[in-house]
Amino acid sequence: MNSESQSQRQESDRLEKKNWFIAIFARPEIGPLGVMILLFGLLGYFSIPEGEFSLNPFAGEGFNALGIRNNFRVIAQLGIVALGAGLLIIAGEFDLSVGSMIGFAGGCMAMILKWGFAIVIPYISFQGGFHFEGLKIFEITDVSPLTAILITLCMTLSFGWFQGWVIVKSGIASFIVTLGGLFFLRGLTEVCYRAFNRAPDQTAGSTTVTDLPDIKNIINVPGHGEMERDAAKALPNEDLLEILSNVPAQTVAKLTEQLSYINEKVAANKTAIQAKKMVETLEKSLAGAKESGNESMVEILTKKIEAGVEVPAVAAKAVTDLDIAKAYIDTIYTARPVANFFGGDILEPVFDWLYFTADWNVNMFGNQFAKGMYSCLMIWLILALVCYFVLSRTQAGNWIYSTGGNLNAAKANGVPTNKVKISLFMFTAFCATMFAACQVFEVNTADTAKGNLKELEAIAAAVIGGVVLTGGFGSILGIILGTIIFGIAKEAFFYIPGIDGSFYRVFLGAVLVSAALTNENIRKRIMGSI
Amino acid sequence: MNENKKPLIEINNLVKRFGSFIALNGVSLDVYPGEVHALLGDNGAGKSTLIKVLAGVHPKTSGVISIEGKEVDFSTPRQATDVGIGTVYQDLALNALTSVTRNFFLGREIKKGPGPFGVMQMKEMNEITISEMAKIGINISNPEQPVGTMSGGQRQTLAIARAIYFGAKILILDEPTSALGQKQQMEVLKTIKRVQRLGHIAIILITHNEIHARLIADRYTFLSLGEVIGKGMAEELGGDDIKKLMAGGAEIGDLRDELGA
Repeated sequence: MNSESQSQRQESDRLEKKNWFIAIFARPEIGPLGVMILLFGLLGYFSIPEGEFSLNPFAGEGFNALGIRNNFRVIAQLGIVALGAGLLIIAGEFDLSVGSMIGFAGGCMAMILKWGFAIVIPYISFQGGFHFEGLKIFEITDVSPLTAILITLCMTLSFGWFQGWVIVKSGIASFIVTLGGLFFLRGLTEVCYRAFNRAPDQTAGSTTVTDLPDIKNIINVPGHGEMERDAAKALPNEDLLEILSNVPAQTVAKLTEQLSYINEKVAANKTAIQAKKMVETLEKSLAGAKESGNESMVEILTKKIEAGVEVPAVAAKAVTDLDIAKAYIDTIYTARPVANFFGGDILEPVFDWLYFTADWNVNMFGNQFAKGMYSCLMIWLILALVCYFVLSRTQAGNWIYSTGGNLNAAKANGVPTNKVKISLFMFTAFCATMFAACQVFEVNTADTAKGNLKELEAIAAAVIGGVVLTGGFGSILGIILGTIIFGIAKEAFFYIPGIDGSFYRVFLGAVLVSAALTNENIRKRIMGSI
Repeated sequence: MNENKKPLIEINNLVKRFGSFIALNGVSLDVYPGEVHALLGDNGAGKSTLIKVLAGVHPKTSGVISIEGKEVDFSTPRQATDVGIGTVYQDLALNALTSVTRNFFLGREIKKGPGPFGVMQMKEMNEITISEMAKIGINISNPEQPVGTMSGGQRQTLAIARAIYFGAKILILDEPTSALGQKQQMEVLKTIKRVQRLGHIAIILITHNEIHARLIADRYTFLSLGEVIGKGMAEELGGDDIKKLMAGGAEIGDLRDELGA
């Protein structure tokens, strides 16, 4: 009895000892976190202009205001689809149709916005020879952004449901079914573009929609009704002045203050640029003089440079009423909040503060550099938060883990594994649609090549983030880190001088394989086989 | 004492056919609460088919299954669970990659909120897991540890504790000691013994290992080629009887003589 209880204590001791080790290294985020820090350092360091020394990564182009805006657009867009792909991999399946789904959804949305939507029932007619005719049973022509998105969602979610249904009912590998989806959707998208793009509205046979209005920037101009922001700014001067006459004095004062700040800033930057140019010219002449051995000239020029160059200050432009009116039009809130939600900007007050108060968000001409972050960042973060909550806190999360971790065990315990899988196939379709909505409403165009290869990038981001390809293991935080690594790598190599930008693929390939190896190692450690 | 008890589950003349193949040909079996009923037989004797019918995986072809005197009929595993039949399969139906608690409550999570998006009450679930595991003899220090870090015996205990907590009155254990080390096997037998002592649970133990059966079984049923070829109380059967019946009634003694020669 005594020896028995002793040996039991040893067993639990052994588990105890392993615990701290597991706690640190059995987290799926540990690897990606290291790589991400490394990449941030690299991007920060290499984007600093040559000849300047700084340990502050925000000094360079990689992380100036515009750099942050653009980097996080790449990251957020990929992040949206990586969340769907990651969850699906955790549940033990793949979706290769994500990229094509993006193209399809974008095409749907753009075409519905442009031409409207109709349901047509085809039938065979024998009158005047055997041919098909269509019976239009439903038609809307002037479609709002929300309706366009909802109609598109109906189509993409049904397709996601169908793929999932085929996979769980037939038992065919999701790889092959969704590979079919990849070809099918891309082809269908192209066919639809050609079928609907008819002259004179659009070049027949074109696989793009390019002339959508800038929906997110449609505003309600007092006295003129709804129009695009740019059109409003181009109104005749008297109209602009009339609009301004109705603006409260307080707003006018604030806008005037901001505009004069901008004008002074621009003037100061112009002065600085001229001074810099002057110094450069002097230095060039100095070098020329040294070469030709003109001693006296060298002396004069050296003195001049040492004394410092004085250039006359550029006068700041005066703020006119027209400027104020245009600035006011810029502040009018959109009349299409849904389009703005997907394609607009967020955090504008922060970026304004960074320009007007913090004096950081300034480009080389003295203007505000970035006006905000792309809205897709917000959509990514909202989705990530929801996914995190579902995966780690809810019953559904436990079902997703068990469906991928041990399918038979999940089934035996009454988990509706088929529903879990089908729902996740629909979720990847949903993510692809969100991605497409962000793109369409941001750039107001769509074309058939959109989203190409995104399915593989999403899977790569998830795997780099610690998701095990065989399912059952991974975390949302990991997927987020993996996405940031992917996005930053894509951008960082662009800033390394003297290196081909495509090296980012070489780098990512290596990271992907090492991540997969690490993940497998962690998984085995948890399974108790190491 | 057992004579006063009523059987918890009575199986009468159970037949299961797969097409023209007769997997079970009129099997009858009574299991009493607080007893371990060992179901023995060689490969292909029909043990697996019997437990799959009892677990609701395969519907029966004919025959009667009664639980506490009431006839039951089920065609899905969920229905079998609902009438109180808990099956612990060899693979234990555990997900090694998630925590003990998440496995304990897998598919039956305690949650607050709508449908599958209800929030799991992890604290409550952890407490129940610890106390239920302790009831049949295993103290786990950390219910958040992945099941993969547990020993085979501990996993078996987890699966048994889970079945009991979710209302199993009849516990079917499919080869619980196979694929385990010597020490782990004894641990599992001790666990089964503790379940037996709880008194209200009837245990059907499927095993190949006659020594394990002799250590804990109260009653035996021997199957061969889909039929019962022998049954009896533990005290009525001698070791040679068991060996002989396990081998499907063949004269194993002859074989032993041959091998010995």
